[in-house]
Amino acid sequence: MTRNKLAQRTEKFAGWLSATTLALAFLVGVAATSLLEARDNPPDRVPSNVAWTPETIAAASAGDAFRGLLLAKRCEHCHGAEGFSSVGYTPNLAGIDKLAIWKQLEDFRAHKRLSPVMGPIAESLSSRDVADVVAYYTKLPVFEDPQDNRVFPQNPPGANHAGIASHLVSFGDGERGIPPCQACHGPVAYRPGVPSLATQNADYVLNQLEAFANRSRANDINEPMRTVAALLSEDERHALAEYYGAGLGLQPGSSK
Amino acid sequence: MNWRKLRTLLLTVLILCLIPATRYYQIDVPLLRLLRGSHRVDPLSLHLTGEFVENNLGTEQNPDGSVTVRMIAQQYLFIPNCILIPAGVPVHLRITSADAVHTLAFNGTNYSVKVLPGTISEAQLNFPHPGKYKTTCREFCGAGHYAMRSELKVVPQEQFPALHHEERGNCDAQ
Repeated sequence: MTRNKLAQRTEKFAGWLSATTLALAFLVGVAATSLLEARDNPPDRVPSNVAWTPETIAAASAGDAFRGLLLAKRCEHCHGAEGFSSVGYTPNLAGIDKLAIWKQLEDFRAHKRLSPVMGPIAESLSSRDVADVVAYYTKLPVFEDPQDNRVFPQNPPGANHAGIASHLVSFGDGERGIPPCQACHGPVAYRPGVPSLATQNADYVLNQLEAFANRSRANDINEPMRTVAALLSEDERHALAEYYGAGLGLQPGSSK
Repeated sequence: MNWRKLRTLLLTVLILCLIPATRYYQIDVPLLRLLRGSHRVDPLSLHLTGEFVENNLGTEQNPDGSVTVRMIAQQYLFIPNCILIPAGVPVHLRITSADAVHTLAFNGTNYSVKVLPGTISEAQLNFPHPGKYKTTCREFCGAGHYAMRSELKVVPQEQFPALHHEERGNCDAQ
């Protein structure tokens, strides 16, 4: 009887052992195949999680500007109390389209656009905070007011590059396939999520053009800016930055 | 019904049939596809998922020697901006639009492909000789339409490098 029981137990144990071994082998096999598959098919490179569906646009537009005003106290130190930064390589936020600011903050949050400064700040915001801050900044006036102490334009228009830049902004370069800047960045036409450059600082524009050209910034949907910035020459990037930084961006086709 | 009336009727029917018969080559396949809802893609989320994500654009080599080229047309660029293909092999072009209606035309050839948002346009191309072709947009698509151009580089088959996923569509990769 005891011997029988022992035999039964041994059998059970052996069965359990073989089942476990099989299961383990199966798991290892699955893991190995998935690893191999991952090596053969690299994961999709997604530039930004934002897609301009009507729901996204509604969510980006639903902010509370008053709550945004309180939250934006944290932004003032760098981006200026009136949305005009005193430092050239920090972007001005007044006069930028709400979808553009919203998309950049969402990309900072999702690590699609990398920045050692803006990354942690954007991470500390909730999606509601982002919409609120955006609602506040879109309410700031763009045009000059003698009572505030904004510093724009920071540099006077440079004479040596003005011709190249205004031609690129108004007409682009059809031979090389460079569309005119104003077809997307205004004032002629805008597309969702595209910032106006009329009130942007020169150093910031140049930094971003160079980052797009060497692909260290890669959060543009369907890579329009990476393509165009790479097609521009070094001189042309400087010329465009100078042009927008001098406040000339409002000129083509605008009433001001 | 007398003979005269019958003759007029028959002639009218014949002419009415002849007009569309001479225009059969103008039937708009991409538009039919869009209306039927086949080859459907979401133009707003091309970059998120599916066939037209960033690292899938450009030239892909198929096992049978042919190549597949995937492109996006958008205001006012073709992505990728420069395409590299080997000469003399069948090229399967798959292109979709992210916003407006575009037409991808290869200058110096008879090839042109109409591109609509929401559906994939396909074309079978063959470039027998190496060379450079300019491509233009031939459908008015907006303020920057006239500057919407890109380039196609056809290289001899033996020079065509084995393109890696990351280097697709990059003309300088050779």
